[in-house]
Amino acid sequence: MTNAAPLRGVRVLDFTWVWAGPYATMLLALLGAEVIKIESRGRMDIMRRMIVWPLFSPVPQEIPPNQGMSFGAINMNKLGVTINLEQPLGVDLVKRLVGVSDVVFENMRPGAMERSGLGYEELRRVNPKLIMLSSSARGATGPESHYAGYATVHHAVGGASYITGYPDGPPSTTFGDVDLVNATAAAFAVIAALHHRAATGEGQFIDYSQCEGVSSLIGDVLLDYEMNGRSPGRHANADELMAPHNVYQCWGVDRWVAIAVETDEEFAALARVMGRPELAADTRFVDAASRKRNEAEIDEIVSAWTRARDRDFIANMLVQEGIAAAPSRDADDLFHDPHLSARGALVEVDHPEVGVRRFAGAPWIMSGCDVEAVHAPLLGEHIDYVFRQLLGISEEELDGLQRDGVVQ
Amino acid sequence: MAARGAFDGVKIVEYATMVSGPYCGKLLADMGADVIKVEEPPSGDPARQRGPFPGDEPHPERSGLFLYLNTSKRGITLNLDRPDGLEAFRRLVAWADVLIDNHPPEGLESLGLGWDELRRQNPSLILASLTPYGRTGPRARAKGGELTSFHAGGLGNLLPTRSEDMSRPPIKAGGYPTGYSTGLTAAVAIAGALYGRRASGGGGRLIDVSEQEAILALVRTNVASTIYHRTAWSRVPERPPALGRLECKDGYVVALLIEDRHWRAFVDLMGNPEWASGPEWGTLFYRAGHLMEIADHIAEWAAQQSKEDVHHRGAAKGFAIGSVYSAEEVMNYRQHLARDYFVEVDHPEAGKARYAGWPYKMRASPPAVQRPAPLLGQHNREVLEDVLGFSADEFADLCRKGAAWKAGGQ
Repeated sequence: MTNAAPLRGVRVLDFTWVWAGPYATMLLALLGAEVIKIESRGRMDIMRRMIVWPLFSPVPQEIPPNQGMSFGAINMNKLGVTINLEQPLGVDLVKRLVGVSDVVFENMRPGAMERSGLGYEELRRVNPKLIMLSSSARGATGPESHYAGYATVHHAVGGASYITGYPDGPPSTTFGDVDLVNATAAAFAVIAALHHRAATGEGQFIDYSQCEGVSSLIGDVLLDYEMNGRSPGRHANADELMAPHNVYQCWGVDRWVAIAVETDEEFAALARVMGRPELAADTRFVDAASRKRNEAEIDEIVSAWTRARDRDFIANMLVQEGIAAAPSRDADDLFHDPHLSARGALVEVDHPEVGVRRFAGAPWIMSGCDVEAVHAPLLGEHIDYVFRQLLGISEEELDGLQRDGVVQ
Repeated sequence: MAARGAFDGVKIVEYATMVSGPYCGKLLADMGADVIKVEEPPSGDPARQRGPFPGDEPHPERSGLFLYLNTSKRGITLNLDRPDGLEAFRRLVAWADVLIDNHPPEGLESLGLGWDELRRQNPSLILASLTPYGRTGPRARAKGGELTSFHAGGLGNLLPTRSEDMSRPPIKAGGYPTGYSTGLTAAVAIAGALYGRRASGGGGRLIDVSEQEAILALVRTNVASTIYHRTAWSRVPERPPALGRLECKDGYVVALLIEDRHWRAFVDLMGNPEWASGPEWGTLFYRAGHLMEIADHIAEWAAQQSKEDVHHRGAAKGFAIGSVYSAEEVMNYRQHLARDYFVEVDHPEAGKARYAGWPYKMRASPPAVQRPAPLLGQHNREVLEDVLGFSADEFADLCRKGAAWKAGGQ
């Protein structure tokens, strides 16, 4: 039997912006869903004009609305339309789309959809089987449901920053990755709801909390408090059992290699590669527990060896010996990693305004999933398809809607 | 009657250890999938050897890591080095809709159960293969794990944020971020593939998930933005004007002030000090160039505040701010408690504890812990007899010969 993209036939209305929402709906699109992103000229996804961190040059530098590449990276394979939600006809248009859709996904400020007349209770009247997910900083209920937030704040509140950093240093947040990991969990919940609907005919509202999303990914850490009344601290690159297990400086400027040794055989191989075979028999390093106990000494020995050597050379040598080793890669390294290229992990996308760019593709390779990467939608790019073909609106009516600023 | 789970009726075999595959299995099991975890003798999943343990005493049935990652599953022990143990495993895979495997690609192959053979035996099987670098490409067989995949995927190179000493190494985020992210990614793909099968039929699928790519996926916006600005990739000490981390007298808060009104609200929170009250501070571009000039003033102010006071007063003013919470603070966090986020689980060996719940509240198909994590071999008889149809005699024989090793739960 042949396979196609598994979510083919599922239609998603996408009211998301920034990062935590858009990546979720892109994952659904990469599985074959038809995702229609709804924006307006007055309220476009702010990432359309931003680079990753809004680091401003002295002269304000504005990126045109279709060229922000963080937007481009998490809105691929979607359709884009513009609807002014401040006009009753715009709200009406959205409801007509809801009538022919399966999922509504939004991460606007809490209450914004309701204020536009597009809350779940309203929309389920239009489509009783609707699945709607609202993703918010701290969830739709509870005393802090109205708190605003971004990824770094969720990371802190959810408990992950406290355990990230050097043992002797301050806690560290991470980056937008928190949004993307929350997006992944939210996409999972939507697909689960599609299963439930397929089995029972019943749609549902999903209330997604991004701070809870962070806590769910440190479940083991939280159990330390439950079991021992203790809050684990920061351990940088260290592991509970393994040593060496660290990132070591190599020759050059800011070049680092990660090395993790699990077994005695691996440690013997490392000792051999370093030209110090006698270390394998050294009582300080003879088994995992001894190595862990003498971790500082091991780190010193390994550092002294890596410091004068090339990062990639070390990683390749160790990998060939069966040892887990990898460069700490930056963006350039990722673009130039032949392994990622061979797997097609970075896809080439031809963008009408900026030309061919490479983006990280789907985070899986799935047989039969025939979705080719397509550039993120230009603002309002798919008005014709969505309004004329999907909703059957006449050319005259669409002209009128555009004239009146309903479709901008 | 228990509420219906979204994956009720889905049959999954989990041949996986540590974090990635087990977390993937847990996500599906907590939503109703029938997940049978296969462990190998003598000690089963190595996660059982890892903490936290009550009283810091290692015990294979009391690992917090294992207990959290394996809720709602049944567990069996099979010796796959024995032909009869392997045969039982084959029958299990023939029964399953999904096989979750996080061993190196050559693991199942060496058992004679490579993808082609699995597909021959069960044409509709979905195989989710979770490996450090994926099943193809020059590094397909390279050893990797939590630390190396995190750095190979790019996220480690960005941490810690605001590093004050670039001669110190980039770091892994705390805990098992690679494993959790990879498991989550695979769960989306599996759920999608199952939906395709439910909606339109179709045959089996191979889902190839690489840890490196699961991490790369999360830094994709940084990677893409480097075409405009190299500083999209950096762990530089300060990054005005976003503000970031502030040290209060009793801990840290994290704030993000992007819009001008957020800045004004923050200045208001500080009591409108003279050094920040000039109108020039009201624009982002001015702050970008000058924030460092008043960084010491801000730090001095923060050092006199308590973090929770700043957190909640700041949030009330409408900007993004939150305390850096420890495990203890998360477990007592009023918002998590108000939302019934935690779930109490009573495990026969480890006792009662509150576990982290799920970030999605689903009214019609709520996730739930269906049962505590399995003891080693707890469901050997149940699975081999009731699921696979071995007779009581055959089961006894498998136990005696060591194929169904140490059938602890008989």
